[in-house]
Amino acid sequence: MRGEIRILRRGEVVKLSGISPTLTLLDYLRLTERATGTKEGCAEGDCGACTVVLRRLRGERLVYEPVNACILFAGQVDGCEIITVEDLARDGTLHPVQQAMVDLHGSQCGFCTPGFVMALFALYHRADTRPVDRQRVNDWIAGNLCRCTGYRPIVDAALAACAETANDWFSTEEPDVRRTLGDLKDSEDIFIGTRERFFAAPASITALAKLYFSHPDATLVAGSTDVGLWVTKQLRDLPKMIWLGRVKGLEEIEDRRDAVSFGASVTLAEAMPYLAALDRDLGELTRRFAGTQVRMAATVGGNIANGSPIGDLPPALIALGATLGLQRGDRPRTLPLESYFLDYGKQDRAPGEFVRVVRIPKFGEGEHFRCYKISKRFDSDISAVMGAFKLRLDGTRIAGARIAFARIAFGGMAAIPKRARTTEKALIETYLDRPDTLEEAIEALAQDFSPIDDLRASAKYRLDAARALLRRALAEIGGASTRRTRVVGFREAADVAPA
Amino acid sequence: MTRIGTPASRVDGRAKVTGAAKYAAEFEAENLAYGAVVSSRVAKGRVVGIDLRDALGVEGVIDVLTHENRPRMARSKKAYEDDIAPGGAPFRPLYDDKILYNAQPVALVLAEDWETARYAASLVRVDYEQEAHVTELESQRDEAFDAKNSPKPRGNAEKAFAAADVQHEAEYWLPIEHHNPMEMHAATVIYEGKGKLTIYDKTQGVQNSQAYVASVFRLKQDDVRVISQFVGGAFGSGLRPQYHLPLAVLGALALKRSVRLVLTRQQMFTFGYRPGTIQRVALGAKSGGTLDAIMHDALAMTSQYEDFTEHVTNWSGALYKCANARYGHKLARLDLATPIDMRAPGGATGVYALECAMDELAVALKLDPLELRLRCYSDRDQNEGIPFSSKKLRECYRQGADAFGWDKRNGAPRSMRDGSELVGWGMATGIWEAMQQKASARIVLTANGHAEVACAFTDIGPGTYTMMAQVAADRLGLPLENVTVKLGDSTLPQAPVEGGSWTAASAGNAIALACEGVRTQLVRFARKVANSPLADAKPDDAALVDGRIVSKQDSSCSVSIPDAMRAANKERIEQEATAESNDDGKHARYTHSAIFAEVKIDEELRIVRVTRIVNAVAAGRIINPKTARSQILGGVVFGLGMALHEETQVDHRLGRIVNHNLAEYHVPANADVHDIEVIFVDEPDEIINPLGVKGVGEIGVVGTAAAIANAIWHATGIRVRDLPVTVDKILG
Ligand SMILES: Cc1cc2nc3c(=O)[nH]c(=O)nc-3n(C[C@H](O)[C@H](O)[C@H](O)COP(=O)(O)OP(=O)(O)OC[C@H]3O[C@@H](n4cnc5c(N)ncnc54)[C@H](O)[C@@H]3O)c2cc1C
Ligand code: FES
Ligand code: FES
Repeated sequence: MRGEIRILRRGEVVKLSGISPTLTLLDYLRLTERATGTKEGCAEGDCGACTVVLRRLRGERLVYEPVNACILFAGQVDGCEIITVEDLARDGTLHPVQQAMVDLHGSQCGFCTPGFVMALFALYHRADTRPVDRQRVNDWIAGNLCRCTGYRPIVDAALAACAETANDWFSTEEPDVRRTLGDLKDSEDIFIGTRERFFAAPASITALAKLYFSHPDATLVAGSTDVGLWVTKQLRDLPKMIWLGRVKGLEEIEDRRDAVSFGASVTLAEAMPYLAALDRDLGELTRRFAGTQVRMAATVGGNIANGSPIGDLPPALIALGATLGLQRGDRPRTLPLESYFLDYGKQDRAPGEFVRVVRIPKFGEGEHFRCYKISKRFDSDISAVMGAFKLRLDGTRIAGARIAFARIAFGGMAAIPKRARTTEKALIETYLDRPDTLEEAIEALAQDFSPIDDLRASAKYRLDAARALLRRALAEIGGASTRRTRVVGFREAADVAPA
Repeated sequence: MTRIGTPASRVDGRAKVTGAAKYAAEFEAENLAYGAVVSSRVAKGRVVGIDLRDALGVEGVIDVLTHENRPRMARSKKAYEDDIAPGGAPFRPLYDDKILYNAQPVALVLAEDWETARYAASLVRVDYEQEAHVTELESQRDEAFDAKNSPKPRGNAEKAFAAADVQHEAEYWLPIEHHNPMEMHAATVIYEGKGKLTIYDKTQGVQNSQAYVASVFRLKQDDVRVISQFVGGAFGSGLRPQYHLPLAVLGALALKRSVRLVLTRQQMFTFGYRPGTIQRVALGAKSGGTLDAIMHDALAMTSQYEDFTEHVTNWSGALYKCANARYGHKLARLDLATPIDMRAPGGATGVYALECAMDELAVALKLDPLELRLRCYSDRDQNEGIPFSSKKLRECYRQGADAFGWDKRNGAPRSMRDGSELVGWGMATGIWEAMQQKASARIVLTANGHAEVACAFTDIGPGTYTMMAQVAADRLGLPLENVTVKLGDSTLPQAPVEGGSWTAASAGNAIALACEGVRTQLVRFARKVANSPLADAKPDDAALVDGRIVSKQDSSCSVSIPDAMRAANKERIEQEATAESNDDGKHARYTHSAIFAEVKIDEELRIVRVTRIVNAVAAGRIINPKTARSQILGGVVFGLGMALHEETQVDHRLGRIVNHNLAEYHVPANADVHDIEVIFVDEPDEIINPLGVKGVGEIGVVGTAAAIANAIWHATGIRVRDLPVTVDKILG
């Protein structure tokens, strides 16, 4: 058992023992360390002004991950090095990313600048994985807002600074940092505080199961991109916090012939290449899931566990036929993903039970998949409507094929992510080249859903858009698929590769 | 040397990219206490009870201030009027039990740390006696009263409209918008003792804040020093002292300790905003495409306690020739906070309606929209009946249209496509006032050829530091690196708030004038040099070039600045000068622009992308093309937000703003921004001011939303007359 958090900061190992469970990393930096270079623009993950870079070991890889410090709890950076905007320039020389931001006029008021600089610094250290082109920059800074510059100069600065492979003082230090971070790794459970008020980070599934079983009132935290806001926005006090980030086994990704499984602490950023490999639309969906900083922290498990009616993954995974593995104490169970969502804010999860793994079957013969996200603002916005469609076609010829089987799920159309069972039925036995019968099935959506008006879209638009998405999916699967028919919304759809 | 008119990187760039630039909430003080504001949960009524027990019981809470236990504040409403206050009686935070709008501050928690203050604020229980409220503009059409700020009518617009060959009349709606600068409003009040306060405030006017605090708390002006060296954007939200400032001061006075107060993003929606408006525009034209009648009426919202008015309806008078015009502006009282100027206040609003109406008129006339503007072009400001100091709008139209390729436009709606997307091209005109305010600047030149230029203006982001340095460097003949700038401190020479796009003209001309004083002295000193080549020179015979005083007649005759200073036995020269507008009412002063926009729209899903914008601007002399271009880019993107996203939504049953965060109040993100080309049209102006400068901070916004809305019509054939144009409005 360890009673403290250990981080690497400016070359020193810093130990934090007395921290409150709800202390955010941003408040730690700005108020405790008094390092005010990192800004707060919203305290809810929306603006990226608080971006810091975590340099950490993921397996054997030393990676640079930009995260929003405002909604990350301090305990969640155990074992990481924290790099902030003050750390980039050395001996009076600006970092190439900073220099490019100055030369190309990347700031006006400058308040967003530290966040952009840090996001670009992380990108700079990823230029080796894939050349940094305009599209990649655009994707990368989707989670950073600037109210002044109109963004173009920042994109130009990114392109200029990331044109070459990283070669800065941080690269030089890597062997040392790797060693230090390696030394910080251990398999101790962390417990800071008392039985009434604690931050805990169990190191094994057994320890997690035991702790949560005896504290079913504790809050589980995975990436904290939801939970963080409960504290900063809803001003809730969360006296007992159990963080999943150290649990051995939950970080596992199993890529098998017939299915891919994600442990509950796998982040969206890590899952992205696997999802993209499974299906191109899934890749596009994750590309449009929040922004980079949120994806670095947010987990696949959290996106399901939170039971949100507008979460992006659940409809897609339901259509794909995913199953959920849960565990309570030493008792595991499995259920189809759609059965997990009972009603608004209500899931099939007992006190003390946690999501352990989600398993997504791969495609069988004749199976086709499409999914689309529609949001009010293209970037970094929650879906207004999200539709996912899986069809199995009879025979080998697509043109004019008969639909043998359909699974269709929507988000944003009901109080939970939900299957369109009437529509599914209506589609079975229809032919892809028979628009009239397809239209009949499409009309059935009105029986499956009666969406509501809200800030994101009107009920009428939602239903219209749902119809349009299904129509589009059928047209595309039926062979009319060209890039032109895609819901790109923004220049070209990028090929989704490792982030 | 970096002369006026050449691009220079901003001088504060380094501080900004390293995190060294410090904003209001980032200054340290010993024994600092932290504040958190409790906001009202009702829109109208009275506070009848406040239960502080739970909040005070939290360890680390020092005190909770309410209207019942706060330190003294001025009673007279007058004492709360700042430089920018509209007519009426300003809101007095924590003054009494009255609730004037939802989410107004009702208590201030003071604690040893921020986490504690924020949490304890959630435990303060307030009981209200509620009264019926009104927050919906439309419901107040009949109750609205005249704002009396519209231009005089000309001719008989009603009659001319009725008789016109072609008529267009429609209503255009604009929602409430919030500035949402990235930095939250904040103040750190350093309690110096002996009645002295040093305040780091987020503001657009340090001297405005200083005077306000002195007046509200009955302090000596000199005992209050307000500093604001870096401001994380404001766009108007910082023009008036917002409630964070008096509350932080209250806290400091109550505790006799230094206090920091930072508002939350939600609380950024609890004071000024761009008022929602309903505008009616009626245009009557001859079939040949000239205007016979313009009627422009605006209904705008204000609070119950102040009469906020903008210039919404006057713009056509300067843009389009028309013998008959009538303007009207009404205000409706709502139970909301008073609006405040937001980037191009009134202009962004009124020109949106006017330019959409002109587009609709062009359709009715079967004329190209650009051609219609050219046929209606006015060479005089008809509101005042005077010519322009300069107006290169024709050039804007020409250069903008060329760069955009406007001549390839097919006028019919839904006529242009790119694959499955509909393509639309729209255009609009932009116009904004070119103002100058009284301001003073001080130059201190030292014998080593280094100058310090000082003025109390703030730099909210446009690059005031850089502009000031550049004007001084140009006029003193020094390299940019040799000039340091001091600003954003109430102890510096007088300056008004930074706003209205007047900073470059106001500070720039004051600096130029102070530099002339320096030059006069230097010439005098240069004459004293032994065997001086400038022995007979008069002040105006010499210029300052490359660190030397050089004869204008013969550039080989010169004296170096150090030599001249040594001859006069001077270590430094100090000059302060005040410049004021030379406006004698004989010329109208405006900046102009022409905006061309392309949209692409997914036909089935109606997702709109603004793929291309060209904005050609005529704004007099451009001091720094790099910073100026950045202003226009940012302005255009601001306008894009207006067009497609920005809307503060009020739940009228509760009288409460509901989308008060950046997840639901959408400001444009990078993905919304595609190709934007900025063109500065050459526009010499000898009349406007000695530097010929007009300012570019706001013109980029004006007209942009109209150009985009017009392009959306062209793409879809659907005319949406209420912003923002969201997908569900273009169902079609
Ligand atoms: C700026 C921003 C943008 C966003 N954009 C999107 C978007 O585009 N699409 C989208 O779908 N979502 C979006 N979200 C929401 C959020 O990021 C996701 O839902 C995310 O996947 C949640 O994962 P997490 O690991 O951060 O969850 P956490 O915040 O750690 O937890 C979320 C909830 O799940 C519970 N929980 C977590 N793990 C488990 C577990 N293993 N077992 C049981 N319960 C568990 C927690 O107790 C909590 O109730 C956005 C959020 C932000 C702040
Ligand atoms: S402060 Fe806005 S994302 Fe963190
Ligand atoms: S420079 Fe002001 S928010 Fe980006």
